[in-house]
Amino acid sequence: MTHDTHGGHGDDHGHGHIKLAYQPGLPLANGKLCLWLFLSTEIMFFAGLIGAYVVLRFGVPSGTWPHPHDVHLVEPIGAFNTFVLICSSVTIVLGLEAAKLNQSSLARLWLLATFVLGSVFLGVKMYEYSSKFSHGIYPSAPRSLIYDKADLNYASAVRQRLNDLATDLAKKASAEAAEGQAATPSEDQKRCEDLRDYLVYWAEQTAARSEDPARRQAALNSLAWFIYPRDGHKPEKFLAAETKRMERDKKSIAEELTAIAEEQKSLDTKKAELEKRDAAEVGEELAATVKARAVSDEKALAATERLRRVEGWLGLVPALDKLEHGINDAYHSLRLPIHIPSGNMWASTYFLLTGFHAIHVAVGLLMFVLMLRYRLDASNAHLLENGGLYWHFVDLVWIFLFPLLYLF
Amino acid sequence: MSSSSGHSDHSHGGVGKYMMVFLALCGLTTLSFFTYSRFWPFQDTPVVGWVFMMAVSCTKAMLVICFFMHLIWEANWKYVLTIPASLMSVFLVVALVPDVGQRTRYYAEERALYASDYDDEENPPAVDAGSEAANESGAADEGAGSDSNAPSKNSAGANSGSAGDAAVKADAT
Repeated sequence: MTHDTHGGHGDDHGHGHIKLAYQPGLPLANGKLCLWLFLSTEIMFFAGLIGAYVVLRFGVPSGTWPHPHDVHLVEPIGAFNTFVLICSSVTIVLGLEAAKLNQSSLARLWLLATFVLGSVFLGVKMYEYSSKFSHGIYPSAPRSLIYDKADLNYASAVRQRLNDLATDLAKKASAEAAEGQAATPSEDQKRCEDLRDYLVYWAEQTAARSEDPARRQAALNSLAWFIYPRDGHKPEKFLAAETKRMERDKKSIAEELTAIAEEQKSLDTKKAELEKRDAAEVGEELAATVKARAVSDEKALAATERLRRVEGWLGLVPALDKLEHGINDAYHSLRLPIHIPSGNMWASTYFLLTGFHAIHVAVGLLMFVLMLRYRLDASNAHLLENGGLYWHFVDLVWIFLFPLLYLF
Repeated sequence: MSSSSGHSDHSHGGVGKYMMVFLALCGLTTLSFFTYSRFWPFQDTPVVGWVFMMAVSCTKAMLVICFFMHLIWEANWKYVLTIPASLMSVFLVVALVPDVGQRTRYYAEERALYASDYDDEENPPAVDAGSEAANESGAADEGAGSDSNAPSKNSAGANSGSAGDAAVKADAT
């Protein structure tokens, strides 16, 4: 800065031309100072977000925070991104060194390298986001499929989704059917109807009516597990017990039906016999027989319906058991609600933190593009210095975000 | 226009130092995965793992701040900028802990009613071997079964105390 101490004091009589000595308030350039002030506000910005995450994550009921595998979070990808950002920090600082030594084309090369590495980071981030979206993990409703508890509300949401799908497919099938012919249900439609009528029906009925609270919750957990399996949560013993129970029910209902059929046969013969005789004599008895036959019909219908449900369950569940990654993964178009405890909290914090960080990275990349227009020699090295400071800060935030989000 | 007046830029920084810092950062990143390896001695206490990972992160952060951001060679203004901001970050987190951080420790009565999430894999509900009631249409009153294992399974279940008693009584009748 200028260091002219007194100037021609003989020339002025109180007007202008008094040369004052400017002392810099701080031993650094204005641009750098302002950038550091901005960075301290950024520290507080991210401290708010990260602090909120820390508090929310450790305040959940113990043991319920989603395991990274449950939410399709892959730690090695996060580690790769960390490595990419560290490299980009190195390249920008090497660019600064080159600029200070007046090696402007080398500096430009390093700047370009930083830009490329930053773009790689964003690309990998987009890939990570897309893998979460494809599994129905979004930060908020209505796209988020996540339910925090597997309860009757969840089961009814699954049923409604399957119902909507089945009716839509039925409408499509009848629209495509030839004139006057019945519509043949497609495989997808049949699958939706089977899941709704056998799996969800069983889960809801058991959850609503069983007297054993453990069994009630286990049925809902099984439904959730079939749709979106989480490691270590397979209700093996419960499903084995239920299969045994269903097999037993099937046998007993079949016996019941044979008993009813016999009863109906005997009632029919009795009715035929009575009809041959005089109406006045056997009127009451005939009416009673007809009534008994009707009651028997109803019993047969109810038993057949129960048998249908049991056989449907027995036909469906072992097949579902064989699916490696659950129904939602095998039949991608279904997008049934999924159960991830604390899943919504996880999704909100994850997308908020990484989203804001990605926005900062994007702004940094834009800044680099604008800087490329300049000749990066020693007189313009301050551009690289200040831009580099911002970029290092972005790297710093990621250094904290990576373990907090991926490794905790 | 470039950087601070009054000091020579060539006396600090330098490619060699930056490469050393880069290697240290890579090494520390790998180290943060140490908690995942089978040699990690604190498998049973995850808190130690978290503290270790935060220590590694803070070390990496200090390396970036001091060397890449050049702060180690800057004058005392660096303290004015960094210390208040860091203090405020810590205060923010600490201030939130007793409020929303402990929200699940003190359940409101209504919340406690709906909070139970029974998920006991070791003791699933027993198979209902002989109960006729289970096969009636409509009222599907499946009491817990009459297996010989039933009493121990039911008593282990958190919420099935009374159901277990009822089932044991039903066995006797």
